[in-house]
Amino acid sequence: MVLDIIVMIKQVPDAEEIFIDPVKFTLNRSQARGVINPADENALEAALMIKDKTPAKITVITMGPPAAESALLECMGRGADRGILITDRAFAAADTYATSLTLAAAVKKIGRFDLILAGESTTDSGTGHVGPGVAEFMQADQVTYSTSVKIEGDTIIAERELEHGIEVVQTPMPALVTMLINANIPRRSSLRRRIDAMRKGIETMDHESLGLPPEWVGIKGSPTIVGSLKIPEEKKRLNKTITLEEIPEMVKELIENKAIVLGDDEDA
Amino acid sequence: MSEFDAIVVGGGPAGASAAIKLAQNNMNVLLVERGDPPGSKNVSGGVLWGTGLGELSDDWEKTAPLERYLESKSVAFLTEKSKINIDFSTKNFEEQKTGYTVLRAKLDPWLVKKAREAGAMVVTGVTVDRLSKKDGKVVGVIQDGDEITADAVILAEGANPRVAIDSGLREPLKDHDVAIGVKEVIKLPEKTINERFNLRGKAGYACEYVLGFLKDGVEAGGFLYTNKDSISIGAVISMKHLRQSNQVYSFDIMEEFASHPFIAPLLEEGRVDEYSAHLVQEGGLSSIPKLYGDGYMIAGDAAGFSFSNGLVLQGMNYAISSGISAAEALVEAKQKSDFSSASLSRYQQKLEESYVMKDMRTFKGIENVTWSKMIHKTFPSMLENVMMGLFKEEGKPKKHMMQLVLDSMSSSKIKSKDMLLQGYRMLRRM
Repeated sequence: MVLDIIVMIKQVPDAEEIFIDPVKFTLNRSQARGVINPADENALEAALMIKDKTPAKITVITMGPPAAESALLECMGRGADRGILITDRAFAAADTYATSLTLAAAVKKIGRFDLILAGESTTDSGTGHVGPGVAEFMQADQVTYSTSVKIEGDTIIAERELEHGIEVVQTPMPALVTMLINANIPRRSSLRRRIDAMRKGIETMDHESLGLPPEWVGIKGSPTIVGSLKIPEEKKRLNKTITLEEIPEMVKELIENKAIVLGDDEDA
Repeated sequence: MSEFDAIVVGGGPAGASAAIKLAQNNMNVLLVERGDPPGSKNVSGGVLWGTGLGELSDDWEKTAPLERYLESKSVAFLTEKSKINIDFSTKNFEEQKTGYTVLRAKLDPWLVKKAREAGAMVVTGVTVDRLSKKDGKVVGVIQDGDEITADAVILAEGANPRVAIDSGLREPLKDHDVAIGVKEVIKLPEKTINERFNLRGKAGYACEYVLGFLKDGVEAGGFLYTNKDSISIGAVISMKHLRQSNQVYSFDIMEEFASHPFIAPLLEEGRVDEYSAHLVQEGGLSSIPKLYGDGYMIAGDAAGFSFSNGLVLQGMNYAISSGISAAEALVEAKQKSDFSSASLSRYQQKLEESYVMKDMRTFKGIENVTWSKMIHKTFPSMLENVMMGLFKEEGKPKKHMMQLVLDSMSSSKIKSKDMLLQGYRMLRRM
């Protein structure tokens, strides 16, 4: 049996090259090059680690502009078998609902799958909605915040990293797993596979080939309304140097000003 | 049957130029660059001399990311408290397209894009491990255990040519042949740069410095070039001196240079936008390896094609020219289906006919002049003494300039015979 694994990725602007427009509060990404969203690299690596042990076919999909092709080629360079770019002007300005719907339609079009892997969230929006959204549309089991995933028979065993420990989850396939950033160390692409990827090329899908009416996708299909944006004000630091003897007085003062709150950790 | 007509290792000016020329001649070429994006691993001072880009693209003057054209070129000696400056500004430079300041973060992606547009297959972010050889001939490259074959490989991997060295195609680098360049790009408003350097429009300024204020016998040069809205500033320090002393660090020298009383005001209120360091080829003719063999050629910095006489630093122009020559030689070899050493010797021939090898031969041994105590220590302090003697007014009788020079020489314990000999050598080699 060959496992069918789908990895969902997004090309995001390199976080090191982004700055916030001080007037419009939008992200200025004009200087930033496109890179694979870091957690998605971990999702791909998780898929490749499964493929290292079990026969598997990895299909990487992304919704984005034509330039996102380079991210798919890089994924194929690392070992993915197939790259699909879901691109259409009609998809522009989609929120997480419309994006999940579109990606789920692509998954349906691809056909069968045993496992879908995705990054837990992206560096350019950080909602963490899309993985779970696709799982809901596909009515598949989902495991979020994972650091590892392995195959056992017809099931997957994933480790979830939570605040107070690790939760080990076993669930039957098909399933969707979202991977945390830094869950593993992504491998590098090889020259041989990159050349083959460029020769093979990537496939594309648009709203017509996915059978999605235009009003279901992009900004028209997005219920989210952004009210306003603001940058949190930078807090002024006191930069005080104090002696050992002054510490109790300082702590007392901080407690009085509610800068330190005493009590049990609410999750404990 | 090889998979590619040619594989070019390295997507800097040499490699990208070779790939553009090969693709323009309908060769099936693969360009492999370890940086992603191209240029992210590359460092230059930042002046591209000449019109080499014109041989690659008809629209280069409009589309290439040229920051400013050179209008003013200076050479300066810095001592602890002084600057002695020779300044040459001319409108001829613009008319004759003499040189342009460039930023590699923009230039290299432009070149690689041109290669892609011409039809080359480009892979970035992948490092070639070594060459693949069969019966002593280079037949391709090896990466991550896979062989990719080609009729010929052009090695244009830059100043630290690991593949060429590991494959025994050139000697390991010697301290004597390299320096370390440390560079910062300082962001400043275009208007501020124009005011500080007396520039208008797209005119630019470039200056090379002798850092005569350094202690412990360390020899280093400096450079400062104006870009559109940034300044490229850097120091080039001889590897020999860095190796000799445990107390001297390249970044400290860079800091000392940038905080010199006559440099700091030029950078004031600027923000560091890039910080980089790189090996610089300084070996001249004697460090140039065999440039070709069965199935391979070496171009650009990897071949030691860079030039510095203290007045000017050049490398990118040689890189472009040598990359083009290698490509042309390979196109001819393809026509004959002969990729042997004898066939690829056309490359050397082309370089000998062009300014590349002529310059290397004309300035043979220049590195022994530019890297000397005379240039880096004695001369700057003598100049300072003479200038002080000329302008200081302390109620004593004035001296002739010649006397000031002689006094300065005797205080520096230099015999006039040695001075003349050194001066003669310098003039002859520059």
